[in-house]
Amino acid sequence: MKLFATKIDTTSERTMVVDDMILTKDTPTTAGSKMLDGYVSLFEAEALTRLKNAGYALCGKANVGEFAIDLLGETSQNGKIVSGGKLINASAEIVSSGEATIAITLDVNGSVRRAAAQSGLVSIKPTYGTVSRYGTIPVACSGETVSVMAKSADTCREVLGAIAGHDDKDGTSLSEELCARVKQNESAPRKVALLKSMTVGVDGEVAEKLNAFIALLTDNGVEVCEIDDEVIATSRIAWNILMSAELCNNVSRYDGVKYGYRAQNFSNIDELYTNSRTEAFGELLKTAIIFGSETLSTENYMKVYDKALRMRRVIVEAFAKIFESFDAVLLPACSTLAYTEETVSANKYLAFEENLYTAPASVSGLPAVVAGGVQLIGKAFSDSALLELAKLLEKEGK
Amino acid sequence: MERDMLRKLELLNQLRLTEEQKDDILAFFADREKEMETLEKFDTSATERMVHVMPITTVVREDVVSQPFAREDLQRGAPETDEGYWCVPRVVE
Repeated sequence: MKLFATKIDTTSERTMVVDDMILTKDTPTTAGSKMLDGYVSLFEAEALTRLKNAGYALCGKANVGEFAIDLLGETSQNGKIVSGGKLINASAEIVSSGEATIAITLDVNGSVRRAAAQSGLVSIKPTYGTVSRYGTIPVACSGETVSVMAKSADTCREVLGAIAGHDDKDGTSLSEELCARVKQNESAPRKVALLKSMTVGVDGEVAEKLNAFIALLTDNGVEVCEIDDEVIATSRIAWNILMSAELCNNVSRYDGVKYGYRAQNFSNIDELYTNSRTEAFGELLKTAIIFGSETLSTENYMKVYDKALRMRRVIVEAFAKIFESFDAVLLPACSTLAYTEETVSANKYLAFEENLYTAPASVSGLPAVVAGGVQLIGKAFSDSALLELAKLLEKEGK
Repeated sequence: MERDMLRKLELLNQLRLTEEQKDDILAFFADREKEMETLEKFDTSATERMVHVMPITTVVREDVVSQPFAREDLQRGAPETDEGYWCVPRVVE
């Protein structure tokens, strides 16, 4: 079982593992891809620098699925990690086992949130633009976010306090004033909307987690109301289009010339490009590249890509409407807490379906917290308030 | 999505797919096309596109030299270099 892509010895009590999408100096960063096997960056991620300054020591790089678009990391060039018949995520396992205090990951397609739900950890995908993406491998830049995973909501909050803030080096970084809002003390939400349509396809264990969380909220005086919103449910479709289109552009830089993998056999420059990319990229990534380029083609640009951009606004407005009456939205983070090898073998594109639950926060840039196996989405900059709700679970020992 | 179009996308993206991969991708596309029918139910003709979800404006930095990496450092991970240049096969016959 290869949890670490690279392990670093440290005697520090406060340790962090970063996934292999986060650039580090002196140790390789591969994005889980053969294309970047052995690649060592000349600079490190801003979030990593800030955490070092806050007293965290790097204890290693966690394996990640190829460019972080899969379910839990199963498409890593180092192979999938299976325990007890279940697929597991390297970052989550490293934190669960106590080998690292926290994990810093890039949430591209929700694998981080699925992993936190499965492992019983707390994770925060912060409001888009409040944590610098400088020094992360770009995939779907308009929605991906540096995220935190830990055993407690308080630790997530402390880490968010250290890494949130304006960064001149990131063109999508928000102002210091806006970034500061995610660190402010806020009281926990008092009225939560349950997205009923998203509870239909989940298995018994996830349904139990949801019911337990709802009971806990109710016991603590939080009002929970079921709502049906067909707009939010379209997030997955829009996100699959936007993510693939952005991914297609972002991975076009990997051609076997300036860095990364180069095929051994080629007779001209076109073969060098084609053979290098064909041999180095995995199947899921190739599918996403082809899909992304198709959505951007002359024939489909208006019908597909442009439509997805307009739907993004419709989704953001639907959330705004919900937040006129509610403080947060409750939904699952995944349909099951136990993805088996068989499940993934039977449907190799499951990651493009399971993101039904994670795409709403990705496409809208809203903060999302996973705790107790379920997910909460809040209005922009309500990150601390969401973590307050997660703390209820810890108080109850659940 | 027709097989001819898939061949064009392969070439465009500098990839080579096996016949099995092509079959899988065509099935994947069929599913995505069905999903587009769901989006078509929403009239977005009067809705503006949303590229950035947050109030982000184009940032222009002062034009000053910063973080000057040495050429040898930049080429450290290159598959093949020669006297400070990246090597590729001959492109002009």
